[in-house]
Order: sequence, then structure tokens, then C-alpha cells
Amino acid sequence: MSATTSSLEPLFTILSYSYATLETNFYKLPGSSVVARYVKSSHQNDPGRTLLEVFLIIFAIRTLLQSRTRADNSGKHFISFDEKEIDELVDEWTPEPLAAELSPKEQAELASIPVIVGPTGPKPKLSNGKTVLNLASYNFTGLAGNEDIKQSGVETLRKYGLGSCGPPGFYGNQDVHIQLEKDIADFLGTESAILYSQAFSTISSVIPAFCKRGDLIVADRGVNFSIQKGLQISRCTVRWYDHNDLNSLEQVLEAIEKERQKKRSPLTRRFIVTEGIFDHDGAMSDLPKLLKFKYRLILDESISFGSVGRTGRGLTELYNVPADQVDMLVGSVANGLASAGGFCAGTNIVVNHQRINGTSFVFSAAMPALLTVAASEGISILRNTPSILSTLQENIRAVRVILDRVDCISIPSHPASATIHLHVKLPSPMHLSPRVPPPSPSLSSSSSGKPSNPLSPTPREAPQFDAELEEKLLQDVVEEALAQGVLITRAKRLRGQELNDIRPSIRLAISAALNKKDCEKAANVVKAAFVKIVGRQRR
Amino acid sequence: MAINPASPTPSMFRKKPSSAMSTAASYLSAVSKADARARGLNGGSTTSTPALSLSSSVTSSSEDTVLHEDIGDSADGLYYPSVPPTSEQVFTTVHTEFGHCANESYRYTSRHTPGEPVKGVVEQDPPYYILITTYVSYLLVICIGHLRDFIGKRFKPSAFRHLMTQDGYAALNSDFDSFYTRRLKSRIDDCFSHPVTGVPGRTILLLDRYSTDHNVTFQPTGTRTRGLNISSYNYLGFAQGDGPCADAVEESVARYGVSACSTRREVGTLDLHLQAEALVARFMGMESALISSMGFATNSTIIPALVSKGCLVISDEFNHASIRYGALESLLREVISQGQPKTHRPWKKILIIVEGLYSMEGTLVNLPALLELKKKYKFYLFVDEAHSVGAMGPHGRGVADYFDVNPRSIDILMGTFTKSFGAAGGYIAGNKALIERLRISSHYSAYTEAMAPPVLTQVMASMASIMGVTIIPETKNSSSLSLLHSSNAIPVPVTNLEATAYPGTAPSTALPNWVSLPPSLCDGSDGRMRLRRLAFNSRYLNRALRKLGFITYGHDDSPVVPLLVFHPGKMAVFSRMMRTRAIPIVIVVVAYPATPLVTSRVRFCLSASHTKEDIDLVLKACDEIGELLDLKQAVGERWPLEEITKRAVELVSMKECP
Repeated sequence: MSATTSSLEPLFTILSYSYATLETNFYKLPGSSVVARYVKSSHQNDPGRTLLEVFLIIFAIRTLLQSRTRADNSGKHFISFDEKEIDELVDEWTPEPLAAELSPKEQAELASIPVIVGPTGPKPKLSNGKTVLNLASYNFTGLAGNEDIKQSGVETLRKYGLGSCGPPGFYGNQDVHIQLEKDIADFLGTESAILYSQAFSTISSVIPAFCKRGDLIVADRGVNFSIQKGLQISRCTVRWYDHNDLNSLEQVLEAIEKERQKKRSPLTRRFIVTEGIFDHDGAMSDLPKLLKFKYRLILDESISFGSVGRTGRGLTELYNVPADQVDMLVGSVANGLASAGGFCAGTNIVVNHQRINGTSFVFSAAMPALLTVAASEGISILRNTPSILSTLQENIRAVRVILDRVDCISIPSHPASATIHLHVKLPSPMHLSPRVPPPSPSLSSSSSGKPSNPLSPTPREAPQFDAELEEKLLQDVVEEALAQGVLITRAKRLRGQELNDIRPSIRLAISAALNKKDCEKAANVVKAAFVKIVGRQRR
Repeated sequence: MAINPASPTPSMFRKKPSSAMSTAASYLSAVSKADARARGLNGGSTTSTPALSLSSSVTSSSEDTVLHEDIGDSADGLYYPSVPPTSEQVFTTVHTEFGHCANESYRYTSRHTPGEPVKGVVEQDPPYYILITTYVSYLLVICIGHLRDFIGKRFKPSAFRHLMTQDGYAALNSDFDSFYTRRLKSRIDDCFSHPVTGVPGRTILLLDRYSTDHNVTFQPTGTRTRGLNISSYNYLGFAQGDGPCADAVEESVARYGVSACSTRREVGTLDLHLQAEALVARFMGMESALISSMGFATNSTIIPALVSKGCLVISDEFNHASIRYGALESLLREVISQGQPKTHRPWKKILIIVEGLYSMEGTLVNLPALLELKKKYKFYLFVDEAHSVGAMGPHGRGVADYFDVNPRSIDILMGTFTKSFGAAGGYIAGNKALIERLRISSHYSAYTEAMAPPVLTQVMASMASIMGVTIIPETKNSSSLSLLHSSNAIPVPVTNLEATAYPGTAPSTALPNWVSLPPSLCDGSDGRMRLRRLAFNSRYLNRALRKLGFITYGHDDSPVVPLLVFHPGKMAVFSRMMRTRAIPIVIVVVAYPATPLVTSRVRFCLSASHTKEDIDLVLKACDEIGELLDLKQAVGERWPLEEITKRAVELVSMKECP
């Protein structure tokens, strides 16, 4: 026994010596005595706690050392293979082709896209050499091809070059951009505005800049694709109300309020997202009524800016509502001012927030100076010549008078809208399943009392239509009209990627650059084409 | 297109015979014009577009651009070359836009030496005291920020209104989310979003501003400062208000106006779009291409059309060049053998997305290694060439050209026109089936506005300038109209073999017939000069900074040069000191969240428009400021500044730079 002890003696000496050295060294460290005292006292009070803390430290170290990127290989779904088996599996694996071949229908669609030779405008020349009347381009105010705009564009080119060569944060922020932002804000009457370099990316960037997970958005069921993308990116809670139906909106808001009171959840950011004039069907929102809720309003005026109101300021001018009541007013410079890009107008706080959080503003190069100045010039033309907008409205009326009373056309668009959507109206829905009622001209006039489910983007009574057939008919109408010298187009959408199936339509875009006679002529051609094609279908 | 008859001097201008001030009279008239403008400026212009009122005449010439400012010291090399040109040298560019450099030894070719392994770049770590003080400084500003919030909310609630619930509305942005912006970024906001004017070429005009409220708002002082521009994405120097590209754009504005007014699938397709797309496809060496009006949105609008449920997308973890190929290979082996999670069905397809040149790191993708893996594992490869197209490779065709691999071995090539071509927007190039699928199914073609005609023209003119043009006599069926009937193919008559090979020249029939280009551009000498000057500049700055002892990231041939400063505070000081030098230098500084927290950096973006003297200037500034801010932390051989500038050519042509 003692022999063992004596043989272990040196070991104990070494241990006690190294412990002593460790201790002295430890106490030499500044602040170490505090740590020691803390450990001692906590151990004294609650020995279990020491154990817990040691366990926590080990856990923290393990977590830190663990690779964060790899999926867990030890999961129960993991099947282990040896290298040879993996090699075989790799050899066997054949991926699908990167891009699926086009179907004959898609090829026909691609081939049917018209090509304009030379400038676009009210009377462009097509690749087949024909000059046609244009009822399809977004050139509401007829600014495309304006000589003053061209002139200032060239001057800008000589002073600024073409590209801005950088995002706004990194010296891409030129004085012309600041000027256009100021022009837009002054024109609309808001504090400030911010310019994006592509219209499509504007609202899909504005929505996620403000709405985060946990926030609430109440959106119209008929919003355009860009808004749908924005809602998707923002990951917030979305509730839907029936397309352009304020009663439905109120019901949804009431339900939300009730739910909130029941759960006693704190006030979150709440938004209503809708469009001024809808891209999908040309219907118009009742702006004053949208403003009476305690919800911030994100209004997409991509179609209405530059096409309604006395001087083209959009819905706010039409309804005589101060634009600063709309919290985020989004518009398209590309559509409204025949240039490129989009904007969001609002208070300084709203705008400055986007300068750091609006992804497509931050990461995209600023718009070319030339296009920016063209837009500024466009605004001053609109300001100074209100006759443009009155001509536009007259043209719209002239077209509507002719098309409103055609048997085989139904028009969901607002009478003042410069985009006019034409749906096919078939007399009897025999080609559809017999139980469905004929599609009503206005989607909002749902007759049954039961409201739709606000959680789902699809309405309870989704309009029934045969998209394939209608698309084909409409395409025939487009081609018939083109043969008669009028350029129109179907509204192109990605079926299957949109939230809801949208009824196929022909979208006319009326321009102030055409005179009334041309508009009437074009409308009569469209009417005749409809009667011919759809009438044939009826028989 | 038409070719200009050879003028007596190889001039790039169509309007002016020479850029030198030929007569006293022209000089005087220029002075008086400039004078009048200055008066117009001071008189307080109340027009809605003051920017426009500056240039009243269309024929604003180079003399004007220079003269309408107050030139302090013309010896500083910013406005006029420090070495005056000799009588034989004829420069056709404006020195402030595109620097004059006649020395043929300041040229280099950007190319990967065939057969050599692509070596990873060693990223040096700074000493620990730098890292620790960096963390401490973040901690400090965060603490102070919270303190200010705490006090401010109690004593000055009006300034925090937008962060609090009011009037039945929840706060628009939470104070936690906006803390970084309010309390950290706003301290150095004077380094960001600086307003500028004029051509963002070799030099740039800053609109001076000051802030009286700690960078919440800025007031313009009304003065301007011209600085050397090392910040813009202008790799090949095509940001020019003068020259053949601008002339072509002017012509296109006159012919086409500024907008296509619709989407591509509706009625926004112009003949110009088809011509530009055919030229882009030829430039990239791919079957087909499509052009989108916004570079940033190109990826997000096309990827959904290619992948669906059951497809796997692998993206580089940090979008960082050091993809560890071993790690990628084992990942591929795992996902292919395991299949989809839970169901174990095989993946439908695997798409790997990499960047050609990483914009924050300056590192290159290891394309040869990736293509080796691709052969074995059959994934699809998507290369985002936003920064490398035009800037890399002996022919400016991007990373495939740099590594001399067939571009068609890559499935999807994406890039932007903002950076190298002085335009805007982006493109996707690939095989015909892919591009046609995208034309039908991508968000881009159905919903976004078509690209504007002037931008298309700039793309075509600059691209033709890089490629050179082979003149093919126009026949009836090769006129621009014949392009339109076969919408996507490259309908170029095979009359000249050289014109069809990749990387070859552009046939003149591929350009609109109203574009007229001078001979120097058609023979490709202009484009070659740009490519070779950029390659020299990039290599010189990269290596010189390393020799000075700075820690930089990135590949030697990369035109993006990140210089690590680590401290957020030093970053701001660096930017301010560069901007307020006797010859101001404009640079970009980047910090968290664009980079990891500790690696705040300065990012230089070089351009073909810079001269060797410009780079020397930058080096001298960096040397001085670096000394002051204790930035020279790299280990390795150092050279003094004089030796670097003297032995620049030797430094660039060295095979290895230790």
C-alpha cells in the first residue's frame, strides 16, 4: 500500500505544482479574481448551476464548431452509400433538359409577336412594310417621338454620356436624377419621390422595403404581377378582398379587427395594397373611400399616372385628393411619360427609407441620364398643355362609344381608363360545362351573400371561362385587325404563374397622339374583327 | 451601316476635324460661351431643369466641357495631360473623359496562361490588434447609439415620431431595424450617395454639399469639384459624351425617340432589339441571346422560368470566389446520390450559379475546374458575368475568353451592359431552345418595359468597337429587314469566315445601316487599345498596392481592386482624405452588410480611360493615407513608391508577383 503511495508521490508533486502555477498565473490575469469569486459564490449558493453552466459552455462550443452549411448527414432519411455506389448513381443520373422545348402553340405565339421597324408611335411601320394605327403601345400622352424630348435627350447625352455607370449609392446619383425626383414630387404634390430604373421592379421592391414578416397587408384579388411578387418577397401576412369591391374590403378589415381584439395582439404595420387603374382589366379604384381606414395605402398608379386627371397626375387629381394622403404612391415613368423606370412618391421618411432598403434602388445602376431628362421634359409638357389629357379622354370616349355596344365584346374597364380591356362575350356558355352561369361583365358583382375567404387569393365564385378558346379567338381578332391596318395586342400574362387565372383580354391603349377620326376608324376595325371572328364562333 | 471615308487625321469625331483648339477665334468663342454659361448659372436659374440649361448647344465640344468650369491649376494633370502631347500624337478623346496615353508599353493582355493551374488567392489576415479594435469600435458606436436613442426619446420625442406608434398607425420602421442606418451609417453618410454631374468617365464632377444636422440632410453649396474617378463601373471607358458611340446614340434618338413604349411580348419589339440581340449572341459566342431592360432584375425575372419544384439550385455560399471545389464535389455527390429530401426521388435538374468576377472580392471563378466537374456531374452552369464581361479576356468576352474555354460549354451566360459598355440593362445568352423558352415564360418578356432604343444603340456601337467590324457589302437579302423574319437565328451571310468565328469581328450587316463608324473603330484598334489599357491598369494597381504593403483581395487581372481597411472609421477617413486632396480622388467604400463585419474595404474600379499617371496618383495618395491610418499590414516584399512607379512595366509583366 505504502509502496504504491510512494511510487505515486512524484506524480502528485507534479500535479500539485502545476495546479499552483496555473492558479498563480490565473490570478495574474486582470479581473480574474472577480471571475473566481463569482464562480465560488454561485457554486456555494447553487451547485446545480455550475453543472448547468458547464453543460451550456460545452453546448456553445459544439454549436460553434459545427459546420453551418451542410445538411445533417446523420438524419434518419440519410442513406449511406460507398464511393462506388455513388459513382454509379452519378453515372445513371440524367437531368431533364434545362429548358423545355416550345410547344407548337408557343412557337406560334412567338412568331406572332409584331416587330416595329423604326420608331414606335401612333402610326408605326411593321416589318411587313405596312404602316398601322397603333392602339397597343403605352403612349397615352403621345410623348413618344416628341421633338423637344429628343432634343433635350441629345443635349443630355453630350453632357452626361449614356450610362450612369453605378448604383445611386456609389456616384450614380446624378443631378438629373435628383431633378426628376423633385419634378415628380412637385407634379404630384408630395414631399419627395424616389426613382427606380425599371417600372416592373418598382413596386415589387417598395412593398418588401416596408412590410416585413408579421406585418399585415390587405390586398385586392386582382392586383398585377409585380405586386404579387412584392407580396411574396415581403413574407408578411396577406389578406385578400374581392376585386375592386369596397364592401368586401370593409368586411375583411372588420374581421381582422375582431381577431386582433380577441387575441390582444399588438398593433402591427398595416397596409392596403391596390392599383389605381388595374393592369388586369382597367377597372378603377375608388380612392377617397380607400383613404378612410387606418391603414397605410400603397397605390400602384402604373396605368393611371399620365393617363387620367386634368393634367395626367393620375387618380389623385381625378378625385381631387391631395397626393400626400396616399402613403406610397407608385407610378411608372415608362408608361406615363414614355421614357423608362418607375417611381415611388411619399413623405421624406418614406422615400429616404427606400434609399437604403429598396433593393432594386440600391443594387441597380441608376437610370441613364438621357431617359431621366426625357421624363423631366415630359412632365413639363404635361404641366403646360392640359389639352393633351382632354384629347386623350375624347379619344377614349370615341373608342368606347363604338365598342361598348357590340354584342360579342364585354368591357370591364372604367370609362375613363386609357387602357381598355376587351373580353369575348359568347352568347351561351354551351362550350363550357353546363352548370356554370355565363361570365358576368363585372367581376365584382357577385350575387351570393357568402363572402370569399380572405386567406385565399381565389374568390369564392371565380369567374368561369375557357382560357384556351378565348385566347385563340382573341389572337384571331388581333391578326384580323392587323390585316386591316390596326395594331392591337392581347394582354400577355404568364398563365399558371399569376395568382388567379385572369380572363384573357385584348388590351387597347389609347393615345392622345391619334386624332379622333383615326381612333374611330381603328375602333371600327376592331369591332368588325370581333364580329367576324367571334360571330363565326357563335354559329 | 456606313463606314466613314478615311479622314486626313484618324479622327473619331464626325463633326469636328480635330479636338485641338485650332484657331484663336475658336478659343475665344469657346471662352465667351463658357462665360455666358457661368453667368447663367450664377444668375440663379429658375428653370425646372437647371442641368439642361447648362448645355444650350448640341455641338458642345470638348473645349466647352473643360472651359465652363473654373480651372485652378492646369498642371495637375486632371484637365490636361501632365505631359503635353507631341506633334505626331493625335488624341481624339476628351482627356477628362478618356485619358490620353500614347505609351504603347503601358499595355497588357488579360489572359490566363494555358496549362497553368488556377491558383486560389491567398487572403491575408490582419494582425489581431486590428481585429480587436475593429470589434471594439463597432461596440462603441452601438453603445453610443443606444444611449443617444435612450436620451433622445425622452428629451426630443419629435425626432423619433416615425419610430413610434401614432395616430392609430404602427411605426413605419422599427427603431431596431433602422438602428444600423440611423446610428452607424449616418455617421459616415457623407461618403455615400454623393450627387454628381457630367460624364462618369476618367474624372467626375462632384456637386459639393455640406450638412449642418449630422448628415440627416445635405445642402448643396453650389460649387463643383472635379475628381479622378476610380469609382464608376466604366471598365472599358465607354462612358463618353463624345466619340463614335455617342454619335450613333444621337442618331438613334433622332430616328427612334427614347422609348419602345411596351413590353417585348406585346408590341415593344423594335428591329433594333433583334439586331442588338443577334450581335450580343455573336459577341458571347452563343447561339442566341435576349436583352432585358434592367441588369439587376435579369436574374430574378428569368430563373423562375427555368427551375421548378424538384430542381436544385446551388449558389456559391458567400457568392465568394473561394468555392472550395472539393466541397462542391462532395456536395454534388451527396445530393445526386440522396435525391430530394424525404422522397429520395432524383432531382430533376441541378443548376449551379456562380459569378465570373466577384464584385466585392475581385476574385475570379475557377472556370476550368468547374467545367471538369460539370462533365462528370451533369449539372447546368449559370455564370453571372455582371462584372467580367468586357473587362476580362484578350477579346473582352468575359471569363470564358480569359480561360480560353468554349463559351458554349457554359449553359447560361448572364451579364450587364452597365459596366463595360457604358449603357444599362442586361442580357442572357444560351442555346436557342433556352432563349426561346425565356422569351415565352420569363417575367421579363411579359411584364417589363422593353429596352430603350438609345441604350440598345450604345450597346451595339460599343460592342462593335470591341469586336471590330468586317465590312460585308450590302445585298438585297442581307439588309436589316431580312433579320426580322427569322426572329432569333443569327442571319448573317457566311461570306467571310473570319467574321463568323468566335471571337471574331462583327459583320457590318449586323449593325443598323445608319450607324456610321470611323476606321479606327472598324479595324478593332480602338477596342484593342481599351482592352489592353484596362488590363495594364488593373494589373498595375493590384500589384503595386501589394508591393506597398496593403492587404488587397482578388485576382491580379481583376479591374475591381478591394483594399482592406477593416475599421469602419478608417474607411470614412480614407474616403474623405481621398476626396479632399489637392487632386481629389473619388473612390467607393463598402462596409457591412455588403461585406463581413470586420472587412470594411475601399473598392477601386479601374477603367481603360485611366492613364498610368492617374494610377501613380492613386498610389501616391494611398501610400500617404495608408501610412497615416496604419493600413500597411501585409507581409511580403515591399517596394518604395518611387521604385514602383519607375518599374511599373516590369511589375506588370512579371509572371508571379510574390
